[in-house]
Amino acid sequence: MLELFDILSEEWAIRALIASSLVGILCGVLGCFLVLRNMSLIGDALSHAILPGVFVPFMIIGYSKAGFFIGTLTAAIISAVAITWIQNNVKTKNDAAIGIVFTLMFAIGVTGISYLNNAQGVHLDLKDFLFGSTLGISNEDIVITSIVTFYALASVIIFYRYLFITTFQATIAATMGISVQFVHYFLMLLVSLAIVASLQTVGIILVVAMLITPASTALLLSNNLKSVLVISGVIGLLSAVIGLIGAIVLNTPPGPAMCITATLFYAFSVVFSPTKGIVVKFRNRRHQKALIQREDILKLMYKSETSISKDTIANRLQYNLSILSSRLAELIQSGDISKSINGYVITAKGRDLGQKLVRAHRLWEKYLVDEMGLKDDQIHEDAENLEHILDHEMIDTLDEKLGYPDKDPHGAPIPQRLERSRTPLLGLKPKGRALISKEQISEKVESELFELGLSALMPIQLNDIQESTITVDTANGIINIDVDLARKISVDKA
Amino acid sequence: MSEVSISVKGINISYERKRVLSNIYLDIEKGHIYGLIGPNGAGKSTLFKTILGLIEPNSGSVMVLGDEMKKVRKKVAYVPQKDEIDWDFPATVYDIVQMGRYPHKKVLQRLDQNDHAITQEALEKVGMQDFAKRQIGALSGGQQQRVFIARALCQQADIFLLDEPFVGVDITTENKIIDILKELTKDEKTVMIVHHDLATADDYFDKVILLNQRLITYGDTKEVFTQENIAKTYASQLNILHQVGLREGRQ
Repeated sequence: MLELFDILSEEWAIRALIASSLVGILCGVLGCFLVLRNMSLIGDALSHAILPGVFVPFMIIGYSKAGFFIGTLTAAIISAVAITWIQNNVKTKNDAAIGIVFTLMFAIGVTGISYLNNAQGVHLDLKDFLFGSTLGISNEDIVITSIVTFYALASVIIFYRYLFITTFQATIAATMGISVQFVHYFLMLLVSLAIVASLQTVGIILVVAMLITPASTALLLSNNLKSVLVISGVIGLLSAVIGLIGAIVLNTPPGPAMCITATLFYAFSVVFSPTKGIVVKFRNRRHQKALIQREDILKLMYKSETSISKDTIANRLQYNLSILSSRLAELIQSGDISKSINGYVITAKGRDLGQKLVRAHRLWEKYLVDEMGLKDDQIHEDAENLEHILDHEMIDTLDEKLGYPDKDPHGAPIPQRLERSRTPLLGLKPKGRALISKEQISEKVESELFELGLSALMPIQLNDIQESTITVDTANGIINIDVDLARKISVDKA
Repeated sequence: MSEVSISVKGINISYERKRVLSNIYLDIEKGHIYGLIGPNGAGKSTLFKTILGLIEPNSGSVMVLGDEMKKVRKKVAYVPQKDEIDWDFPATVYDIVQMGRYPHKKVLQRLDQNDHAITQEALEKVGMQDFAKRQIGALSGGQQQRVFIARALCQQADIFLLDEPFVGVDITTENKIIDILKELTKDEKTVMIVHHDLATADDYFDKVILLNQRLITYGDTKEVFTQENIAKTYASQLNILHQVGLREGRQ
């Protein structure tokens, strides 16, 4: 460890660290726009295409960092223009045009550098340009890289609106008088600058990884472009620095080490991203499944109307006992059912939910038969799924559309709509706290609240849900409320 | 006749020798809501894009508010068809509505409190204020369309062009949107909508334009939107007669 610290305090290593950090941030930020515009391949193409920009200036003025910079930038711009020209004027597919141009430029570059090396005994190591090198970074490089980074980041900040709108919806940008073409070329210029600046540290083969991998990682982590840009810049920075240190320790080229580091970040967020990761998706699916199981239990208990034993539920729904135990425990917790002497019994709150499910199921069946013309033996499965998805509003719409039918296609009664608030007191969990809402669904509810001694914004705690009443703890003591009223009372989160 | 807001003068457009629009003359009046109606491939979207200056006509010209489009861009709000949008894009509802302020800003000008207030107002108008921070893909089709309507409102334009705004939209949202648009005409704003549900056209528009590569006719809905004119517009498309029949039945 001490040894690594010694190495890192050497001048060449510090130069390499500074250059890599700048390049990491720069590529991370600009890469977001490439990825969002489906232009990742262009990034790869431009990076390969800059190679002739190394040997041509060398032949003219010899070894010069400024020469390399101007040469490679020119090569990138020539390639970008050539690609666009072919795409617009020749009947060649867009990605084929990209492939044709960048491979040619790359071939010219490799040939030129190899020729210089063999024929005239110059030491220009092709490998250093392809994969980067830690030793080759001069103070001049750092100055150039700093200027480029500052210029590009300042441009992104100043022209953020233009980059955002042309990337999101080019048509709208055009109607607002923004030149989509100009923004495209400007972005190409910035990307070319980033690639040229990366030449020494990452090398041209893998610079595309620094452009697209941190950006793709950031896109998995945020839904807001500004934070995507910041996150991507930070991940780019970390990938570059960690990769560089790894390369120094292992004595390998830095480009591949940075690429591997960036990809590790990416893999990590694929798995653990809080909104889009595999873990979260898996957990959501499990929650969804548990929810459906709970609802199916409630529906069964709603229909049976009497106390029902665990074995009966397990038999009827074909659940194994341990799954059923967890679901029942959750239902007790949420106050939808309670334990009885010989099993379980549905509470007033649970009955409301069961009623909703049955109503959704039967109305949907009615809809499938009446409006879609399906036969009554084809509809049960579909309704079994839909009943868990339809919300109160959709069910009411369906009911209205069908003309408030009494019976479903199998002749079973369709439960009537219950007048209820969107956020009813009855929806609370036992021991759940809330405030009485300022706005109630009707004046009648308001006057009934008044009679009970409940005023707006009064904090309450749901105590217990019984057969036909609920009890609520308030500052004025315990109050009993009829279930039919509790369903209509709106409450807000405490 | 009230003041003209868009004047289309003899526009001709063809792509690779295929005629798309042929000799179109139109005077769109301020303070009205127009339905632009015609079969697929009639050139409805092309006409919009020509008015917006996105397509250069082969001949003819367009005057908007008595000027060239280039000079009055911020006074024209456009809601394109939704199909080209990347719904995974990291943009929130607020970000998108705020785009309506962009044409009012010079390159180096920042968005300020006033822009924020206007954006907020537009969000409230369409009832999407509670979703301001939501990513655009995490909305229903109807909510998404409300966001794009809000962006147009946020632009505080005089002319609103909407290309099939009711596709993939629930009926509640459709009613809400049409109410908002009708209200705009009271402030002398002009609204043009590409629409293809013939059954609702009577209710929605006080003027219609019937187009099928050439202008069939245009004017007050009551006078112009007749079975005969519709049949002419959809000539050779028999299935549409079914829709016409439905509409007659309703009346």
